[in-house]
Amino acid sequence: MEIVVCVRPVPEAETRLRVAPNGQTLDADGVKFVLAGYDESAVEQALLLKEAVAGSTVHVVACGPAPRTEEVLRASLALGCDRATWVEAPAEFAADSIRAAGAIAAVVRSPLPDLLLCGKQGGDDESGLFSGALGEHLGLPDLNYVTDLRWDAGTSRFRFQRATEAGAERWEAPAPLVVGLQQAWNDPRTAKLPNILKSRKATVAKVHADPSVPPGAGQPEKFELPAPRTGAKLIEYKTPEEAAQKLVRILREEAKVLP
Amino acid sequence: MTVLVVAERTGGRLAAASLDAIAVGISLAGTTAAVVGFAAGPGARESASDLGQYGLARVLVADDPSLEGAPPCAGAASVAAAADRVGADTILIGGTTYGRDLVARLAVKWKASAANGVTEVTPADGALRIRRPVFGGRATETRTLAGPRRVLSVRPHAFPPPPSAPASPTVEPLARPEDPAPLLGPKRTGVEATAAGLGPSLGDASIVVSGGRGVRTAENFHLVEELAAALGAAVGASRAVTDAGWRPGSFQVGQTGRSVSPQLYIAVGISGAIQHLVGMVSSRVIVAINSDASAPIFRVADYGIVGDLFQIVPALTAEIRRVRSA
Repeated sequence: MEIVVCVRPVPEAETRLRVAPNGQTLDADGVKFVLAGYDESAVEQALLLKEAVAGSTVHVVACGPAPRTEEVLRASLALGCDRATWVEAPAEFAADSIRAAGAIAAVVRSPLPDLLLCGKQGGDDESGLFSGALGEHLGLPDLNYVTDLRWDAGTSRFRFQRATEAGAERWEAPAPLVVGLQQAWNDPRTAKLPNILKSRKATVAKVHADPSVPPGAGQPEKFELPAPRTGAKLIEYKTPEEAAQKLVRILREEAKVLP
Repeated sequence: MTVLVVAERTGGRLAAASLDAIAVGISLAGTTAAVVGFAAGPGARESASDLGQYGLARVLVADDPSLEGAPPCAGAASVAAAADRVGADTILIGGTTYGRDLVARLAVKWKASAANGVTEVTPADGALRIRRPVFGGRATETRTLAGPRRVLSVRPHAFPPPPSAPASPTVEPLARPEDPAPLLGPKRTGVEATAAGLGPSLGDASIVVSGGRGVRTAENFHLVEELAAALGAAVGASRAVTDAGWRPGSFQVGQTGRSVSPQLYIAVGISGAIQHLVGMVSSRVIVAINSDASAPIFRVADYGIVGDLFQIVPALTAEIRRVRSA
């Protein structure tokens, strides 16, 4: 099975967010970029399928600027992906998920793999636009919010679940297919040191993103941080009943979130 | 400005998220005459009359049996055809898993600027200016969607519901445009109502009550569920709870679970690890109940009770029931 997994460098979860001097975007200066959590699940999913289906290969692809994009590709190789392609593009190009999906589609179009995996949304902008846009660019169906993806060799079908408002939906689908993964149900592995060292010398194929791919997610105008929360107003009480009465009164009369 | 609103149907009625999309459509188009409804799949005709309750005078219906159990992407061609038929420049969809996926497809298929989960939309010199939370609610971005076409999903609960203005819409059937067959390859074979079986679903609920490690055992989790039931709230959990197997993974709120933004979020026995906070910090009002006054959850909460949850939560459940029955 030929598997493509699309990843994206995002600021690590503990990053203290700052606004760039132009006021329009996150200030990326000094920020450490890592594989997004959802993308880690996608890489793990690709590796699990590779282990389950003999003769499979995993090709990891990312669109973005140096050095962060090459770094997350090498991190994916260290985890066990077979080869990597870096679709080099400026940060503002790659930040537009529709555009990044178009640039990546051009690279993976022929030959078409059996499965294209990504996270359900970027760990940063949470646009949720990538998997659908990639599917539309390639003329393939896409299913997002997927968990528990398996290949059933008997029927030549993928079987998986989707976490939706209705609950856990069960699905089956033939290849080729685009899948966005919901969460780390699969407990992603960590890279072993020898593999990390090997990945530093591994080949990362590099192509330039086609600048004629049109943007789709609009122009950033302003990036704002909320006023720091001042901390909870603590309710003073002598008995649990008094605490409950005071809280309910506040929620009804002050916060107006209860009828 | 001509707006097409896509109606989604869940549990035999119009999805709450579709009402958010209608409300935004009416506010943008200024007059209901320019807002056109679109409904597809099973129950589409019922959705059409439901759309009439909010003053929509024209509804296009794709009553297409092949969309039953088909992936969201399979309906994108019908939505694009409906938008073209009525000359829409903007498509609005509720920000559900269905709506968000459809927006991504339509961005490419209909050659539109796109955004998911918007909390504000304002016209700006022929373009639309949108705001939406990013980084799990730790920041907000404003973007301009220029160009002649836009497709947006609206974040659930971010807008007041549209006023009732009953009308009898004209209903126009829409034939399914030729779709490439592969889009109908994936099939839904079943649904297990998980968290939804206990009350409103996490993504849809205006109140969420979540339990964490402080609940101590699976058996104690009923305290959280009873408080949720009294409030008509959805039940959530921190990763500690789902990892321990006290409740299934579908309950998990946080970075690796579901992001929620209800009107009221009550965190019971949750310390407030960053992985949990990114999934709920954009809730409008946050209440924390925890025995440890130094827990990080109190830094993001609006109101806090420092105390023993095994005493506070039953008292709170009783007080809610008392007030509700009064």
